[in-house]
Amino acid sequence: MEKMINLENLSKSFGETKVIRNISFTIDKGEVLSIIGPSGSGKSTMLRIITQLERADDGTLTVDGDTLFRSVDGKAVYDRENERKIGLKTGLVFQSFNLFPHFSVLRNVMEAQRAVLKRGKDEAEAKAMALLRKMGLEDKARMYPFQLSGGQQQRVSIARALALDPKILFFDEPTSALDPELTREILHVIRALAEEKMTMAVVTHEMHFAKAISDNAIFMDGGVIVEEGTSLFSDPKEERTRRFIASFENE
Amino acid sequence: MASLIMQMLEGTVTSLRIFFLTLLFSLPLGFVVAKGKMTSIRPIRWITDLYIQIMRGTPLILQLIFFYFAPFYIFGTSYDRFTACIVAFVVNYSAYFAEIYRSGLQSIDRGQHEASKVLGFTKPYTFFHIVLPQVIKKIMPSLGNEVITLVKDTALAQTIGVAELFRVAQTASSREFSTIPIFIAGIFYFVMNYIVSRLFAVAERKLDYYR
Ligand SMILES: Nc1ncnc2c1ncn2[C@@H]1O[C@H](COP(=O)(O)OP(=O)(O)OP(=O)(O)O)[C@@H](O)[C@H]1O
Ligand SMILES: [Mg+2]
Repeated sequence: MEKMINLENLSKSFGETKVIRNISFTIDKGEVLSIIGPSGSGKSTMLRIITQLERADDGTLTVDGDTLFRSVDGKAVYDRENERKIGLKTGLVFQSFNLFPHFSVLRNVMEAQRAVLKRGKDEAEAKAMALLRKMGLEDKARMYPFQLSGGQQQRVSIARALALDPKILFFDEPTSALDPELTREILHVIRALAEEKMTMAVVTHEMHFAKAISDNAIFMDGGVIVEEGTSLFSDPKEERTRRFIASFENE
Repeated sequence: MASLIMQMLEGTVTSLRIFFLTLLFSLPLGFVVAKGKMTSIRPIRWITDLYIQIMRGTPLILQLIFFYFAPFYIFGTSYDRFTACIVAFVVNYSAYFAEIYRSGLQSIDRGQHEASKVLGFTKPYTFFHIVLPQVIKKIMPSLGNEVITLVKDTALAQTIGVAELFRVAQTASSREFSTIPIFIAGIFYFVMNYIVSRLFAVAERKLDYYR
């Protein structure tokens, strides 16, 4: 299997606090990875480094064969040439949607296609409408984000990310701002994408969902990967993993 | 009577010139000042902060006098009253507009910048297409208040002898032993501000299509 993500020995500190300590993992093409772990374990920071919202301190990251940064003398050295190229291959869906409130739903999904990929208006609109249809939001194209429910807004933000044809899509707790009903909506969409073999990495607290869709899973705590593999859901090896998983079963 | 009307018209034109020239320069300059106050370069931030503190902490009348007389005492040359008046107004209003812009810029959720970055928008694109439109909507009400204050503040230009409307009205009043010229001037300020607030109300309504 070809690797979509190859991450080696990633480290990151904020000031004095080490948030990520020497993390390595890979994601195969077409694979769904779920990332679980307690608050503050560094899950978001890791996604934000891969999607270039934060910079790595040390480590090596290759995305779809292109190297974003490599470790040289204990420091991550970025390849400026590849930053933009890799940025276009990675998409990120936020917990808080972050739609553009002053644009219609349609324009939210069209804007980057036009401005970044320089697609023509008709092409961008056709693509946006097809994605909105897929998300069940065809009839909402002319509305503004504030007129939609949280679940609908999140589906628009997924369409917005997909419109750029990313090679891999990251989700950072995509349902944490939603109530159970709307959560199901979003999980349904992610599951459908998984069936189409979209490569994805999902940070989530929805254990049943994670277990159902994941090809691989990692459990993070204190900035390290404590355990890896889907068996951690049903048969955790490490004590810390066991306690974390158990805390969800009690709910 | 005809000459009184002519004088008052001239005064009105002067007041309007102060008003529009101040806006013309201080609306964009305020942005530069806001950027200065938000920069990570400390000395620039300190200087900008001190400048804003002084402009907001001292009377505009005093600033007018300063900008009119300072060049004379420092360089031994003076320039015309009207220019000095515009300089003082622009320097003063840039500080106020800067504070309005800054609060608007800071009110934009960080997620807007992050989403833009992840989607691949360049920094200028993000600023002009994503951030600025939202900032403009946010600051409309405070901007409206400030512009209304400016209309009334133009009357202060008389401190350094600029023959704006209110000064003309006062002079005429004492010459004619009548308060009517001052009353007429009052109507002008009222009408002017009525127009300003209507314009801002229209703008706010236009931007009301989203939240
Ligand atoms: N910009 C920042 N500056 C300073 N510290 C930060 C910053 N971002 C994150 N941190 C710290 O880094 C640690 C890891 O944060 P991160 O957001 O990656 O955790 P997380 O696993 O995503 O947690 P959660 O489940 O609460 O989202 C936390 O202790 C957090 O306070
Ligand atoms: Mg997080």
